[in-house]
Amino acid sequence: MMRISIILVAIMAALAVFLPFLLPWDYAQIDWDGVNLDMTSTEAWQRGHYLGSDDIGRDRLARILAGTRITMSVALAAASVAMIIGIAWGVIAGWVGGRTEDIMMRIVDALYALPFMFIVIVLMVVFGRSILLVFIGIGAVEWLTMARVVRGEVKAIKSRPFILAAKASGASSISIILRHILPNIMGVAIAYLMLTVPQVVMVESFLSFLGLGVQEPMTSLGILVNEGAAQMEINPAALLLPGGVLILLIISLTIAGERLRDRINAGAIKNPNAGAS
Amino acid sequence: MLRLILRRLWMAIPTLFAIIIISFLLMRFAPGGPFDGERPLSPETKAALESSYGLDKPIWEQIMLYVGRIVQGDFGPSLIYRDFTVNELIAQGLPISLLIGGLALVLASVIGISGGLIAASKAGKAIDEILMLLATLLTALPTFVTGPLLVLIFAFTLGWFPVSGMDEGISWLVLPVIALSLPIAGAIMKLVRAGLAVQLSQDHLRSAKARGLSPVNRLFRHALRPALVPAASYLGPAAAGLLTGAVVIETIFGLPGLGRYFVQGALNRDYPLVLGVVTLYAGLIIAFNLLADIIYGWLDPRMRDS
Repeated sequence: MMRISIILVAIMAALAVFLPFLLPWDYAQIDWDGVNLDMTSTEAWQRGHYLGSDDIGRDRLARILAGTRITMSVALAAASVAMIIGIAWGVIAGWVGGRTEDIMMRIVDALYALPFMFIVIVLMVVFGRSILLVFIGIGAVEWLTMARVVRGEVKAIKSRPFILAAKASGASSISIILRHILPNIMGVAIAYLMLTVPQVVMVESFLSFLGLGVQEPMTSLGILVNEGAAQMEINPAALLLPGGVLILLIISLTIAGERLRDRINAGAIKNPNAGAS
Repeated sequence: MLRLILRRLWMAIPTLFAIIIISFLLMRFAPGGPFDGERPLSPETKAALESSYGLDKPIWEQIMLYVGRIVQGDFGPSLIYRDFTVNELIAQGLPISLLIGGLALVLASVIGISGGLIAASKAGKAIDEILMLLATLLTALPTFVTGPLLVLIFAFTLGWFPVSGMDEGISWLVLPVIALSLPIAGAIMKLVRAGLAVQLSQDHLRSAKARGLSPVNRLFRHALRPALVPAASYLGPAAAGLLTGAVVIETIFGLPGLGRYFVQGALNRDYPLVLGVVTLYAGLIIAFNLLADIIYGWLDPRMRDS
């Protein structure tokens, strides 16, 4: 299951990056003579619109590929922002301990109680709707789970003999964190990164669907679903194609992430040296 | 138990204030204002408008005024719906959102708990695998895709339900409620299945089996109640999920609920409206977390003292 979903994600990523070079139309290019072409009509194929064209004559396949590309890169970038904040927060809280840790984790608890999506929407409204801010905004609110998990791991590793040995030999906190702690938490951090990515895909498409995320002429799967929903009565493919790609992407990422996490957790239970949280 | 509730309520106050102040500052420092239309206003008109809405006062004074009014339950006038106050808009939208959200939560609980029960009682069998895969699918499907898909199938193609809007009967409720409940049903199903798996492996359930109690009796009388604890603690996140889901669902189905006003307010920089709805949302989520704690205490008496 995990292998299939990872392969699926890889295929989608490869198609989204490389297939556009082989297409006759660009995603923002307008074909004035080929508006609203159905994917089954011969005219669509003759003009090079293999999945038809939308209501202002843009190639549907090129738009879906561009949307997938943007959705995936926003998700990866935002999840990475979340991972960096989460790791930094968790490592500091876990390593320093004491009152600092209490306060830092209480902040995380308090933020958990906030209505996330609404804070992201307020951020989007405030800072304008640029793609950079979409992922900084999402990344800034998706780091909480990562911070909790990393803190647990750091606390477990901190009491192990090799850390004590490093301390005894005079290593500074920073070099212990960089050389001993970080390499040991990377496995868990990457598993949770994998789980964050599909969530971010959802948030990004949700924002774009509402018109608050990625802006024209750029596109994303959320925008395409929104456009498709507007004309599904006459042309169901406009909704079904981008919707299907989005569902496939989210499900593959979720399954891959869940299986990877279960595998790492199972390994940690079997192997007492892996620093179970 | 009462002390626990009171302490939670006490702790909710600073959270609410923090949300109000943070969102207020964010909205006020945002570039662009509600009166930046297509046609630039003359400076005098703009100044008059700003002073009539209190936007020309120093920022801390605006915060104090705003917080003071919120404490009295007054969210001020809406900037885009010129003839309405935010309170009036909330009064119009909230009942619709609560109706849809409440029904969706009930439906999700019914689907989730029964699915989890079936899966756990057939643990390891094919039906368990299928139900768990279904649960993963349900949690992974975004409402803004399932919503239009349901409309396409059941409204346009089959014509069983209205496409959008509200009417006299209850048929307009069916599709929005189903679309809203699906991801939460999936999450509850997973939690109930996992909770039951833990319970069924306990000693007292093994002895119940040895004493010859029927599987139905064991599941419902002995295992289900403690197994619902993880699902009950999911109530807080579920409330947040319902509220965000409702934003999409109300947009898709054209229902004049709270989420619709929130999106319109956000797109048009209607500060009082957005702030009012966000404050209300935060309050609702805190209330649901409190409700989760109470249900928690009811399901697991050990929790009542801590």
